[in-house]
Amino acid sequence: MSSLTLIFTVLAAASSRASEVFGTIRRTILTPIGRVFDFLLAPVDRAFRPLAKVFNRTLGKFLGTVTGLQLAFVLTTFLLLLTGGIWGASIIAFEPGEGLIALDIRRPLAYACIWAVFAMGWDIQSGYTGYISFGHSVLSGGAAYTTAVLLNEVSSTLPLYVTAPISVFAAVVIGLLIALPSLRLQGPYFSLITFAAVLLFFQATRAFDILGGSAGLRITRVIPAADSFTRYYLLLIPMLLIAVALTVLSRSNYGLIFTAIRENEDAVSAAGINPTKFKIWSFLISSIVMGIGGVMLTAAVSNVDPTQFVQVDRSIEMIAMAVVGGIATVLGAMGGAFVFFLLKEVVLNLFIDEAALRLFVLFLLVVLILVFARDGLFRKLWHRLGQIGGEEP
Amino acid sequence: MSLLEVENLTKKFGGLTAVDNLSFGVEEGEILGVIGPNGAGKSTVFNCVMSRYDVTSGTITFNGDDITDTSTHKIVNKGLSRVSQESDPIDIFPVAGNIRLFTLPNSLLSLYGGADMEEIASYAARVDLQDKLEETPDELPHADVRRLEIAKALATEPELMLLDEPFAGMNQQEIRKLSEQIESLREEGMTMIVVDHNMSGLMQLVDRVVVIHNGAKLAEGTPDEIAENEDVQDAYLSGEEI
Repeated sequence: MSSLTLIFTVLAAASSRASEVFGTIRRTILTPIGRVFDFLLAPVDRAFRPLAKVFNRTLGKFLGTVTGLQLAFVLTTFLLLLTGGIWGASIIAFEPGEGLIALDIRRPLAYACIWAVFAMGWDIQSGYTGYISFGHSVLSGGAAYTTAVLLNEVSSTLPLYVTAPISVFAAVVIGLLIALPSLRLQGPYFSLITFAAVLLFFQATRAFDILGGSAGLRITRVIPAADSFTRYYLLLIPMLLIAVALTVLSRSNYGLIFTAIRENEDAVSAAGINPTKFKIWSFLISSIVMGIGGVMLTAAVSNVDPTQFVQVDRSIEMIAMAVVGGIATVLGAMGGAFVFFLLKEVVLNLFIDEAALRLFVLFLLVVLILVFARDGLFRKLWHRLGQIGGEEP
Repeated sequence: MSLLEVENLTKKFGGLTAVDNLSFGVEEGEILGVIGPNGAGKSTVFNCVMSRYDVTSGTITFNGDDITDTSTHKIVNKGLSRVSQESDPIDIFPVAGNIRLFTLPNSLLSLYGGADMEEIASYAARVDLQDKLEETPDELPHADVRRLEIAKALATEPELMLLDEPFAGMNQQEIRKLSEQIESLREEGMTMIVVDHNMSGLMQLVDRVVVIHNGAKLAEGTPDEIAENEDVQDAYLSGEEI
């Protein structure tokens, strides 16, 4: 008992000390750095203001309005993504013990595109409506397994334009099977169903021979792995199209209604809007996106297996990506996927050799972001950029 | 035919009878007051009318349609809207966004339907909120939040509005202002049912009064008749002050 008290006293002291330290860091380091950035970025904001005006007048209704600096940020990101196939071939990194080295990160960049699709697909449903799914990999995995089974059981030469629509359709069917019974109800029931669904599917992949067991199903790559340049662009382009499409939807009435469902579902009914219909609709949109993501991932690999495609960890990673970037933002979730995936596959690799420890540190970082930047890195950044342009905090 | 007809409405929660075989109607263009002490079952009646609760027995008809088991959003789209006792605006939307939500069509095909800023401002203007469209509800004083609830209800273009304790928590001046606004809504042709446990505030406003006590109807009549009714006085004296 007394040792417990001691532990709590130490913890309390440590946490108050930590918040003190954090306060000092904020005062002496972060705030001055912020001021320097404000000073440097203010001219950029002014330079892009005319362009932002044109953007807001023409595309603002569909994509949301921006300040000069926010537009500059979006354009820079867009340019970086579009040129990733070139600069990604050789970036300079620092590895302890080795010094400066050149790294080809086009493979992780390409896979990050796929995970960005997953994170955005999760976000447009769970992030916006607040009905949190813990089993979104059941949708992408469903599409992937449909492709793999078709290739193995029907004909290994079936082209993508045949397997892809069927696979996306399969994701939609699975989505309906989950959404129809569970989304009629309010509350945590839906989350539990999605969680159970992914566990069920994971077991099914191992229980039924047609699904290949834990070894999975071998398939021929549609996107050749040898050509990193082409692979990156074949995955980047559908990702960008989905990002634009989901941004448009999130800025339409859908976004308003989905958010209202999260904030106050009874108010949605009182507004004469059927919340069940829109909840199921959000899940269907999400299923389509997850289906496309599943097809993209399947096209880039030579084996569809339960660990890579279904296991509940994959669903949790999608959530972590959206959380890191900012829930209910679409583009934040996309950015979060890149941050998360590049941390996992590139940055942490430089410092930590052991895989398990790497994942531990990765999820520790996710928790820290949840504690210190609850709204997500990109939402925080976005508002900060907006403030430099004189937008209200 | 009455605009809204509640017939033999009973609502039980387990062994407790919250509403007991209650019948009343409201005519087009009138303001009906429903009064009774706290816990008399007034809000439960509204919850049954709006299908927030399933009724135990009885029927509710609106404009001749049986709406007893119709879901809430369909009832709203038929022209019935309710202002809840508890304000529940969405704090992350500004006033305009809160009102706009109530103008959106219940359609998956409508990406950009619903009221524009001008229409939203006109709903807000009917309760004097037109200057606060950009503010979020948590920045507003209590009386304005209550008015926002009315603006939201108005935005669904109702024929009949249910107002549940609209004056709760307001001071005398705010009550007077809101009474005037309700009065002018009536002049525009709106039918209303106003629930309150406080008789005095309501008597100037309403055409007719139904008094509920322990879930059952105790009396019905003009405000003057009710004020002199001995049963009503007894009920109130035993429970709350008038």
